[in-house]
Amino acid sequence: MKISYNWLSDYVEHGLASADIVDALTMLGLEIEQSQELILSLDGVIVAEVKSVRTHPNADRLQLCDVDLGDGNARQIVCGAPNVAANQRVAVATIGTQLTVNGELLKIRKGTKIRGEISMGMICAENELGLSENHDGIMVLTGQSTIGEPLIEYLSREHQIVNDTSFDLSITPNRPDATCHIGVARDLCSLLDAPLTLPKASPPSTKAAVAEKLNVSIECPEICRRYTAMIIEGVTVGPSPIWLKRRLYSVGIRSINNIVDVTNFVMFECGQPLHAFNYDRIHQQKIIVRKSSPQEAFITLDGKTHSLDDGTILICDGQEPIAIGGIMGGKNSEVDDSTKTIVIESAWFDPSSTRRSAKSLGILTEASYRFERGVDTQLQPWAAMRASSLIQELAGGSILNGIIDEHPTVDLPLSIDLRLSRIPKILGTEIPRERIIQIISSLGFDLDETSNGVITCIVPSYRPDILQEIDLIEEIARIHGFENIPLHSSTSLQLPVPLSRPDDQSREIAHSFLTGHGFREIYTNSLLPDEEASTFCHEVLGTDHPSVKTLNAISGSMSTLRPSLLPGMLKVMKHNVHHSQKILRFYEFGHLFHRSTKQATFIENYSEYDGLLIGISGQIQPHGWDTPPRTSDFFDLKGDVGQFLEALQLMSALRFEFHNQPSDITDYHITLFHKNTQVGTIAKLASSIQDSYDLPDPVFFAELNWTRLVVLYDQVPDQTYTPISLFPVVVRDLALSVDRSQPVGPMVATLYQVGKPLIKDVNVFDVYTGERVPSDQKSIAFSLRFGANRTLRDEEIDRVMEKILNVFSEQFGAILRI
Amino acid sequence: MEHTLHTLKSTVSDLTQEISATSLLATSEVEEFRIRFLGQKRGVITHLFKVIPTLPKEDRREAGQLLNSLRSVAQSKLDSANLAGNQLTDHSSQIDLTLPGRQNQWRGSLHPITLALTKITNIFYRMGFTIAEGPEIEDDWHNFTALNFPDDHPARDMQDTLFIDEGNPDQSRIMMRTHTSPVQIRMMVAGDPPFRLIAPGRVYRNETITYKSYCLFHQVEGLVIDEGVTMADLKTTIYSFAHAFFGKNVKLRYRPSFFPFTEPSAELDIWWELPDHPDGGRWMEVLGSGMVHPNVLKAVGIDPERYTGYAFGMGVERPAMLHYDIKDIRTLYENDIRFLSQF
Repeated sequence: MKISYNWLSDYVEHGLASADIVDALTMLGLEIEQSQELILSLDGVIVAEVKSVRTHPNADRLQLCDVDLGDGNARQIVCGAPNVAANQRVAVATIGTQLTVNGELLKIRKGTKIRGEISMGMICAENELGLSENHDGIMVLTGQSTIGEPLIEYLSREHQIVNDTSFDLSITPNRPDATCHIGVARDLCSLLDAPLTLPKASPPSTKAAVAEKLNVSIECPEICRRYTAMIIEGVTVGPSPIWLKRRLYSVGIRSINNIVDVTNFVMFECGQPLHAFNYDRIHQQKIIVRKSSPQEAFITLDGKTHSLDDGTILICDGQEPIAIGGIMGGKNSEVDDSTKTIVIESAWFDPSSTRRSAKSLGILTEASYRFERGVDTQLQPWAAMRASSLIQELAGGSILNGIIDEHPTVDLPLSIDLRLSRIPKILGTEIPRERIIQIISSLGFDLDETSNGVITCIVPSYRPDILQEIDLIEEIARIHGFENIPLHSSTSLQLPVPLSRPDDQSREIAHSFLTGHGFREIYTNSLLPDEEASTFCHEVLGTDHPSVKTLNAISGSMSTLRPSLLPGMLKVMKHNVHHSQKILRFYEFGHLFHRSTKQATFIENYSEYDGLLIGISGQIQPHGWDTPPRTSDFFDLKGDVGQFLEALQLMSALRFEFHNQPSDITDYHITLFHKNTQVGTIAKLASSIQDSYDLPDPVFFAELNWTRLVVLYDQVPDQTYTPISLFPVVVRDLALSVDRSQPVGPMVATLYQVGKPLIKDVNVFDVYTGERVPSDQKSIAFSLRFGANRTLRDEEIDRVMEKILNVFSEQFGAILRI
Repeated sequence: MEHTLHTLKSTVSDLTQEISATSLLATSEVEEFRIRFLGQKRGVITHLFKVIPTLPKEDRREAGQLLNSLRSVAQSKLDSANLAGNQLTDHSSQIDLTLPGRQNQWRGSLHPITLALTKITNIFYRMGFTIAEGPEIEDDWHNFTALNFPDDHPARDMQDTLFIDEGNPDQSRIMMRTHTSPVQIRMMVAGDPPFRLIAPGRVYRNETITYKSYCLFHQVEGLVIDEGVTMADLKTTIYSFAHAFFGKNVKLRYRPSFFPFTEPSAELDIWWELPDHPDGGRWMEVLGSGMVHPNVLKAVGIDPERYTGYAFGMGVERPAMLHYDIKDIRTLYENDIRFLSQF
């Protein structure tokens, strides 16, 4: 919302420069987002008189004017305005003048020819002078003027027009009172302890002559609590005086005519939106306020037809709707140049109803902006009277005696007890009692000090946001100044010792392990296209419960919550492949979502947990001068994930299940279990999915249920130190030939089993198929480390080796290779 | 030559000495060594293996072990020479020390959001705040009602919030949380004062994606509830935070604002220097705060006469973008390696 520096100064003597106003209002909670200087740069613009007007020989739309610039001579000026006429006093920009028009510099040059005719200056319109947005015709001076005098002298003498500053305020939703100049001025008065000067407007008595001419009835008192109206007869609709245009210009409002301009002026003055109807267009002299029926159609002032929602507030005459209450008037009752009698509407419409209607209609007006915040419930008669007298002043006519004031719901003012002792308990600072009283009363509260230390405050009708004591304390703090709340220089130790996030330690291990192993952390969108989400709702990934859709999707590509981190990472891989990246190693932490009645976590019917995805594709490492390129494979990832789980001390608690057969999303995979609970998957992505993401190399990923792993991590017992054996380790190698299809995993497990308790470590250091073994066989080489708390004798080890060989030959058909 | 176990042992011992004495500095030497000892056709050790079947059965295993260990001695000598690789020269003084180091794996990286989040949470953790988390799918009560949002508050409109379930008279509306404040509600419902916690996490808004807005972002919100907590405590805490996060010389402004769940409410602005700006910089909002509204305390069963408290909240992306001079928020979610590798 915009306000003007000069206009604000009408109501409070603040003595502040415009930069200080910016600071003062911002620190009062009325944040100024932007301020714009409205400078009149009128050097070289003078008052002149048009002596005669001739047609331009070469252009139909242009005219040649002989203009007296003050020296009695006639100078030719070319003018395109339709309203130029002889004997007018006008503003002329003389040769050499520089004007700023719509932000662009316009220089009046000597000897300029327009369509072959010389022009000795320019007759100006109001927008060219920065006075208003009007560019319909040239500005005609109607006040007392002297030919040849600088225009700025005329303007400041006749219209008190000087430079101004326009402020753009960001008004928080709790401050409906601050959506006008008087409201903002009231805050300044309270800050500066200065008086508030209000224009005089005494509402007339109700139900006099006016009641004969118009009947108002409210059918929906719950959303229209008050409707006042006044009638002015015999007005002359015409352009507004320059001071009014300039005022509206300073707050960004276009001038329409003197009637509409006054209603806007009063709204920006006191915050009450007003509407003017053409009385002669109101059928049966009746105004009925009701709710719309579904799909009712209405044509607004701007000529657009709207289909209304059920329950929109409609202002109707005896026959049809004539306005949408609180939002916009209708074409059918618009005030135009021929209007003679007008009705001024000053009403109170319900905030939430107005907001709903404005939103569903897609119309946000200055009126709806104020109604949806809540206008003063008592201001309607004052505003109607203020507007009527201004209209009478500017457009003539006579105000019909009396005011119509339908007021079915009368609100009693709220009274709140303020305990002075409570203020320092909230603010942490003592504010003198006198200052408290000055602040509260200057904001318009009536005070009554009922008992010791308690002040009863009557809330003014323009402050619907003040509902309890804490709201009053905020007002006091706000005016007292947040900058005056002290900072402690020290504070006592806060106990108990804070808890870190449950997974802080494990997450830190994860971050340092993964970044140390060349993985880059990514953050991807939690919202996916629906089809993509369904593809990855798969039991291989832990759960095939349906995904969670949003009701009001931002777009089709962001309609469903991710059931897996995989699609996000695949898109990141695709993006990077398109930018010629060869090494793709990523990880991401993030919440995953499913619809589930059985596994619901926080919210009934929804399951939500933290996932960790680790993925690789492309080259395993940078191609160096002696490191040949190699494409990542499954065992690269399996190795990293295994070590990662070792780093978290979880490896021994987990069980692996091996699946060679393909699924919809994997070519093969390993499922990780803790007891019977699935905690993760290590897999090769199905080639078909790899292709659909346009990825040239196979993708390997591990998706882990981080929430479950963290629970396990917390159960890992604190480790104690095992003394290091002082005795030498014995190393033996073992090369065996087995059937080609024999998996190595069970053999390693058997080695540990059979070699107990001497065997300490088993390493597979070679797997060979080729010419040196039969074609249905493979050779596997193990390196075994033995140790004990004594020196081992060769014979002991030989016995273990012997036993191993026997078991292996029996279980795996293994033959010792020499 | 016919071998016995005995002669084999002495040959192995000779060879072991020879291996250890051989110099492997030049590439040619390395190749010679390989052919001499390990070559498939004429390698001495390869040849010795063929002797094993000629030995008496009871000696074969020992012979095998002997030769295996000899082979591995030779192999490891060869391997370490090869590790030095192509840069071998005739004299070690001529080793090319300017060749780049071998990159077995490149350096990974943390995402800038993690970096900023960690920086923020660490500061509060050091100030004695517990770190709490909660779900991203929330119900109406935790996200709005308990936080004193009026029934017809604009934030409850479809325009601003992503809904999951419209609800019905028996069941609450379900939505994506619009802030992490519901975590505070969950903590207050579950425990008793005093509270001193922060809640970091991801939040959602029904917004079109542009260079300055994304449909989700990250927040850290804080809560302190105890007897005798005042706005001076609040101001001290967040000023201390701002000095720790933005530097001790940062210029701050603390001004009134509005949030349904705090009263009084305040916004903390920092002065951000911009050399090209006509004023030399501008104020930027970084943190919303206020004294917890009595209605919020009542909603979770805490007596607002006995306890007072404060709450604050800040976005993570905005300070991260300011700090790293990132102009477009989408960059953070695109995860281009050229971007990620800068952190």
